Amino acid sequence: MSIIVANGLTHHFGNEPALEGVDLVLDMGEHMAVLGDNGAGKTTLLRILATALRPTAGRLQIAGLDAFRERRRLRHYLGYVAHAPGLYPALSAAENLQFFCDLQDVARSRVQEVLDAVGLKMVGHRRSDQLSRGMQQRLAIGRAILHEPRLLILDEPDASLGSDAADLLMAMMRDKTVVLATHDHALANRLCPRTLVLRHGRSVGTATRLRVVQ
Amino acid sequence: MNPFRVALAVARKDLRSEWRTREVVPALAQFIILALLIGNFGFQIDSRNATTIAPGILWLALVFAGLVAFGRTFAAEREQASLEAMLMTPASPVAIFAGKALAAGALLVICEAVLLPALSILFGTPFSGEVVAAVLLATFGMAALGVLFAAIVARVRARELLLPLLTLPLWIPFVIAGGVAVQSAMGLPGNYQQAIGLLIDFDILFVVLTSLAARFVLDE
Amino acid sequence: MNRYEKAAAAAVALMLVAAGAIFLYAPGDALQGPVQRIFYLHVSSAIAAYGCFAVVLVGGIIYLRNESPAADRFARAGALVGVVFTTVTLVMGMLWAKPIWGSFWTWDARLTSTLVLWIIYAGYLLVRRLAEPGRGAARIAAVVGIFGFIDVPVVHFSVTWWRTQHPGPIVVNNALPAEMLATFLFTLVCTLVLAAVLIAIRYRIETLLDAKMAIAEPAKLVSAQQPEAVP
Repeated sequence: MSIIVANGLTHHFGNEPALEGVDLVLDMGEHMAVLGDNGAGKTTLLRILATALRPTAGRLQIAGLDAFRERRRLRHYLGYVAHAPGLYPALSAAENLQFFCDLQDVARSRVQEVLDAVGLKMVGHRRSDQLSRGMQQRLAIGRAILHEPRLLILDEPDASLGSDAADLLMAMMRDKTVVLATHDHALANRLCPRTLVLRHGRSVGTATRLRVVQ
Repeated sequence: MNPFRVALAVARKDLRSEWRTREVVPALAQFIILALLIGNFGFQIDSRNATTIAPGILWLALVFAGLVAFGRTFAAEREQASLEAMLMTPASPVAIFAGKALAAGALLVICEAVLLPALSILFGTPFSGEVVAAVLLATFGMAALGVLFAAIVARVRARELLLPLLTLPLWIPFVIAGGVAVQSAMGLPGNYQQAIGLLIDFDILFVVLTSLAARFVLDE
Repeated sequence: MNRYEKAAAAAVALMLVAAGAIFLYAPGDALQGPVQRIFYLHVSSAIAAYGCFAVVLVGGIIYLRNESPAADRFARAGALVGVVFTTVTLVMGMLWAKPIWGSFWTWDARLTSTLVLWIIYAGYLLVRRLAEPGRGAARIAAVVGIFGFIDVPVVHFSVTWWRTQHPGPIVVNNALPAEMLATFLFTLVCTLVLAAVLIAIRYRIETLLDAKMAIAEPAKLVSAQQPEAVP
């Protein structure tokens, strides 16, 4: 069944157009990469799909529900890794996760599980502003999966991760529907059979594997 | 998701962050000390007019400290994009708002715990349960309003100008009623009962209104 | 002349007639002298201002319920016109206060709440100007407008109550003779007509401004190119 059905997604920030008439359909279990230069509209599109932003025009259905009206319900279902990690600097990695467990009524035992899953078991007690950028990114990813979402929206999750980014992400993405924005074409190819390329806010065609030029 | 638990979790998180970074409390402490110093040197205070002037200094200090405390509640959130992460959970925006108001209010109460005795020691004004009750009641409503408007201006330019401009007109009733309550508790003319009754009425009115408004301000 | 110009001309003509009534028809006040004539426009202005802010309130509430852009435009128009009328009220109040009470200002309930009114809606206008235009700005402005409207009577009440705690000078309200009442009511109607015309004109301007923004310059976007992906 189609998990995401998007029609004519358009967004303007004041006078500035960011996204113009983007359509996309994503089925359960599919992994899709969103590619494009900086400013092409990737983050805007992902924020709309994650229900973090309401588009100025267009329709979006997630899991058959109207994405705006049912956004509170849908947030049980989806996990979002934003462009910025959005962590609490003075709290430890574990405390950050505990807080989000409390917000979502998730058992605190999940915290250790998730720390293990993202490879932060040894630094759970460390303040998040004392973690390396890569570890912070891992923590942000961990936070997104605390509630075991079925749909993942990931905005450049590989940004600060090292060479094992692909392994971590592949493990995360197993059995889930995923939309992933990245600059790394090779990674996109490895992880996602489908791609959507954005240029100046417009989609220039969705396809299966993108041939890497050069 | 129990909204009370969410609110408490948010309040705990904010207070724990503040405890570890100690960003807001020193700024508030500065205000308190300055207010007391200026009060002393700016006015000719003697034992006769101390009770007349001290309530004014009290409210001045509280209003400015409040602006600092509430102005900061969303500053860090915004910078860290963490507010969005919170709003992306199924947790109700009203509960999140309540948690932040609780935490910011608690910081202001900590200030008051220093300010009131200091005022009493330095200016010789009486320090009674009645004074404390009046100040606490006013803080409650002022915190709800301050945090709501801090959320409103969080994504607007010229935040530092807009927050006082929008918030002070709404704090006036609290300062008026609170002022009369404190003055009468310190022995000046004024009906303490009526003033406290008004504070409670204002608290109820504005806490209800801010709770209703929170979901429009915080959510998309 | 288009219909806005006609309406504006009519409103101005009405105000001139009202001015005539104020200076030629209404009797002078024995106690306060000619300065008393300010009262007709001062009070009418205040009532018109409240009317404008009621438009902001209703527009805001409707906007929060169903995001109607028209409601938001009315709110913006109402706020601007309302601030103008509030400024007029304050200035006239001060001009009247000086000869009568000896000082430009006194912290009585009406003056204080009018000042608070001015501050609140000046804040509303600033928020609209400084926030990024769009749904978010309209929403927070609606909240500001609603809180502001509720706050003014609360402030008015608080100051009145505060006065009872401190004995002070009481302003005596004399009964108005018939000609003064008639003049006042006429001026009030003319002022309300002027306010309505101003709001309508401003609404039109806001509609044009909105349309300019929504033409999101598609010319700027590069036309979509051929997909370069290989199936």
